[in-house]
Amino acid sequence: MGILAINRIYAALSALVLAFVLLPLVAIVWVSFFANRILSFPATGYTLGWYVRAWEQEAFRNGFITSVETALVAVAISLVLGVPASLALVRYRFPGRDAIQTVLLSPMVVPGIVGGAALFMAFIELEVLLDVEIAGTLPGLLIAHGLIALPWTVRLVTASLVGMSPSYEEAARSLGAGVFTTFFRVTLPIIKPGIVAAALFSFVVSFIDLEKSIFLVGPGRTTLQIALVSYLEWNLDSTVAAVATVQILIIGALLIASDRYARLARAF
Amino acid sequence: MSGSAMSTATTSPGGATAPPLNLPAPGARDRRRLSPAFGLAAPGTLFVVLALMGPLALMFRYSLNRFVPGQMMVEAVTLANYQKFFADSYYQEVLATTLWVSGLSTLLCLLAGFPVAYFLVRQASDKWKGRLLLLVILPLLMGNAVRTAAWMVILGDKGLFNAFIGLVGVSPVKLMYTPTAVVIGLVSVLLPFMIVTLQSVIEGIDANLEAAASSLGASHLTTLWRVVLPLALPGILAGTMLCFILSMNAYATPVLIGGPSFQMMAPAVYQQVAKAMNWPFGAALAFVLMAVTLVLTTTANILVQRRYRRWSE
Repeated sequence: MGILAINRIYAALSALVLAFVLLPLVAIVWVSFFANRILSFPATGYTLGWYVRAWEQEAFRNGFITSVETALVAVAISLVLGVPASLALVRYRFPGRDAIQTVLLSPMVVPGIVGGAALFMAFIELEVLLDVEIAGTLPGLLIAHGLIALPWTVRLVTASLVGMSPSYEEAARSLGAGVFTTFFRVTLPIIKPGIVAAALFSFVVSFIDLEKSIFLVGPGRTTLQIALVSYLEWNLDSTVAAVATVQILIIGALLIASDRYARLARAF
Repeated sequence: MSGSAMSTATTSPGGATAPPLNLPAPGARDRRRLSPAFGLAAPGTLFVVLALMGPLALMFRYSLNRFVPGQMMVEAVTLANYQKFFADSYYQEVLATTLWVSGLSTLLCLLAGFPVAYFLVRQASDKWKGRLLLLVILPLLMGNAVRTAAWMVILGDKGLFNAFIGLVGVSPVKLMYTPTAVVIGLVSVLLPFMIVTLQSVIEGIDANLEAAASSLGASHLTTLWRVVLPLALPGILAGTMLCFILSMNAYATPVLIGGPSFQMMAPAVYQQVAKAMNWPFGAALAFVLMAVTLVLTTTANILVQRRYRRWSE
């Protein structure tokens, strides 16, 4: 077999696999415009009506707002905790560094359902001890989402710190700049792309989380993903498809933006 | 070079491998700068310890408690919940299903992912490689709820797939709520992980080695089998383990695509903890799941590493 034939086989196989991976997205976006009252193929016509219906559904609207709020706070938590920790991991060598690295990355490694269940139990235990409500409240959800975002922030920010020579910081320090001045005037501007990518990526992983949130949402405090799943348990119609399409557009935009700052493939 | 990727892949207590960060090697001179580092790392570390490690320890403690219907949990130190798991044929079957579904999905990911990774590295231009990789990753981050909804649209009784085969006169196939559908759903979400992992390891293999093999008369398949495969083994191992672990832990796909009669471990944990309110047993299920995953991945790691060492000698 010639090189050309082999190349063609690889290209064809890759196209097939890529089509398989992308098929669900294409299908659901397509279906969101169907005029059919009950979801079926082929389309009897096309409409934008499902988008209006989706927005009229209180569960989706409130879920969307809760998800955005939660994700924004998760980004804040993960940056405040993750950027200093990344600095420590990359710029200092100290005993226990490997252990701290393992701890910081562990939320990525413990199964979402297991971590969610454990957090749920701990919250209930605390509620009994302190006589306050946590499990179905926003703070409880925020802790879980901070945990989801933190390891990704650490990954992306350490990657950009590793790529930055410490001599810039050393030069600033030797010219008399303090620790904080050095960080804000030298380090931060240089690693800004990594931080932006980390913030965008953290937003996405928090926004799409299902497994940890499922234990921690309460009445009136439901994230969009949970609202989608509970809707899907009973119905499958173009309303869901419309919500999904909006989510695909938002996340797609965020990911393409964050890929401009740091190659996302490196985060995996 | 590719050997180092394998030796540094750490297996965590959670039962999964997290690719290590590429940190600079330790140097002696930095010892004295100990305190600022601890100050910087402490808040984040403490947060994870309090919000994850602590709750996991608490959950492990709960798994040793006794469940009494009506009053939830009675403090005890007993292995009864673990014994219940291994004595109950229903849960044996749940574990068996989880294992074979994960194994099959992982195998399919490997078979489908390798050609794509190889194509991306050896044939695509740099610009296209970046774009295609992003295209591979995008669906992964659309969220399990959206992706599962999409598969329901495609695989449903009146779904896209059945409509499509109806056009060519084939009668509808029941796909929704079958194990086949779950495997399809899992493969579609795990493939990106496999492709990205394989891609990065194939990147490290010198293309000249393949050219040398073929100029010496080896066919493409022989070259793949005798040259590329041994060198890519660390990446294959890492990708395989990642996919296996993620499918062992899958929740949304089995629940929504598998339907009520299809049970896997993660949904069973949720069921026990949140619905049946049997915390001790739910906790035990969670630790059985993590332990089984850890034992299997560690064994595979050791076996493959031994094989790899024999190859590289």
